[in-house]
Amino acid sequence: MKPTEKKALLNSLEEKVERHLKAVITEFQNLPASALLKTSPDGGWSIAQCLDHLNGYGDHYLREIKERIDKSENDEQPIFKSSWLGQYFTEMMDPDSGKRKFTTFKNHIPKKDLDPNKVIAEFIHQQEDLLGYLRKGKSKNLNSIRIPISITKWIRLKLGDVFQFVIAHNERHIRQAMRNKTAQGN
Amino acid sequence: MVDVSVSILLLRNLTNSIYPLPEKDWISFSSIWKPFEAKRKETITASGQVEKFLYFVANGVQRVFYQGDEQHEATLVFTYAPSFGGVLDSFLLQLPSRYFYETLTPSTFLRTTSEEVQQLMSESQAIQRLIQIGINHSLAGLMERMTELQCFSSEEKFKKLMTRSPHILQLVPHKYLANYIGIDATNFSKLINSVKI
Repeated sequence: MKPTEKKALLNSLEEKVERHLKAVITEFQNLPASALLKTSPDGGWSIAQCLDHLNGYGDHYLREIKERIDKSENDEQPIFKSSWLGQYFTEMMDPDSGKRKFTTFKNHIPKKDLDPNKVIAEFIHQQEDLLGYLRKGKSKNLNSIRIPISITKWIRLKLGDVFQFVIAHNERHIRQAMRNKTAQGN
Repeated sequence: MVDVSVSILLLRNLTNSIYPLPEKDWISFSSIWKPFEAKRKETITASGQVEKFLYFVANGVQRVFYQGDEQHEATLVFTYAPSFGGVLDSFLLQLPSRYFYETLTPSTFLRTTSEEVQQLMSESQAIQRLIQIGINHSLAGLMERMTELQCFSSEEKFKKLMTRSPHILQLVPHKYLANYIGIDATNFSKLINSVKI
C-alpha cells in the first residue's frame, strides 16, 4: 500500500472529525427528541439510531486506542503505510468508495428505545476524545501500534488504519442522519 | 479563521465602547497585539501556569473553567468575539492560574503579553484608564453572575444565558452550557425542551 506522510494524514483526519462535530452540534443537537427518533421514510434508521450505532463502535475503538497510545513509546516515524486489510476496511466504510449496503453485525444494531439527547452527548464526547488521540498520534508510530477489531481480538490493525476506518464509518452514518433530517424538512 | 486586519478593527470597536483612545494612544495600543489561532478543545492556559497573555477573541467560543476531581468542574465564563479572554486574575497578578482556558470551537485571537501591557500603561494615562475601566466592567459582570448562581432558578439562568449569548446553543456542546448553569446534562436537555425561546 502507498506510504503517506503521518502528520498530513492526521491533520486531514482532524479536519474530518471537526466537520463531524460541527455538523452534529449545529444540525442535530438542538432538534426535539421526536425529530431525532423518527425513522427515515424508507424505514431506515433514525438520527439517534445512526449516532448510537457509531457510539457502539466508538466505545470499543476509543478505549483500545487510548490504552495503547498511553502504553506506547514516542516515535517520530514520519511515515504511515496502510495494511491491505486496513485499507480494505476503510474503503468499505467510506461512503464515497464503499457503495454496498451492509447488514450490521448483531451486537452493533442500535436499540429501539433510545434517549436521543444522551446519544448525541455521547457522540460529541467521543469525537472530542478522538481529536485528542489524533493529536497524540503525531508523536507516535501509527504502524507499530495495533488495535484489535471489535468482532474479534485475534485480528489487530494498525492504529493509522483504525483512525481512518472509524472516521470513514462516522462519515457514512452522519450523511445518513443528514438525509433523514432533510427528508423531515427540518 | 479571521483576517488580522478584521481582528484589529473588532478590537478597536471594543476599546471604543470601553474608553475611546486618542489616535496616538490607539496606534501604540494596536501595535502590541499578535495573531494567534487554536483548534477545537485545545488548552490555551493550564492550571498551575502563569497566564502570560491577554487575549482578544476574534472568532470562536472558549471557556475559563476550574477542574478539581471528576465531580468538581466549574465553567466560570464563556468568551467569544468581540471580547477579551484568558485567565484574567492570573494575568493581572502574574501568579499561577487556578483555572484552565480552553477552546470549545476553532478560534482566532489577537494576543499580547503582560510586559507589553504594563509598559504601555506606564507610558500612557489613556491606556491605563482603558485597562482600568475594562477590569471594572469584568468585576461588575462577575458580581452579577455570583448573584444569579445563588438565587436564580435553572430556568432563569438558562434564559439569562440565552439573552447574553443567544448563538451559543448552535456552537457549543450542551454539556458545557449545563456546567455553566450548574445542572447536569440530563436536566439541561429537559430544560431546553420545556423552555420556549
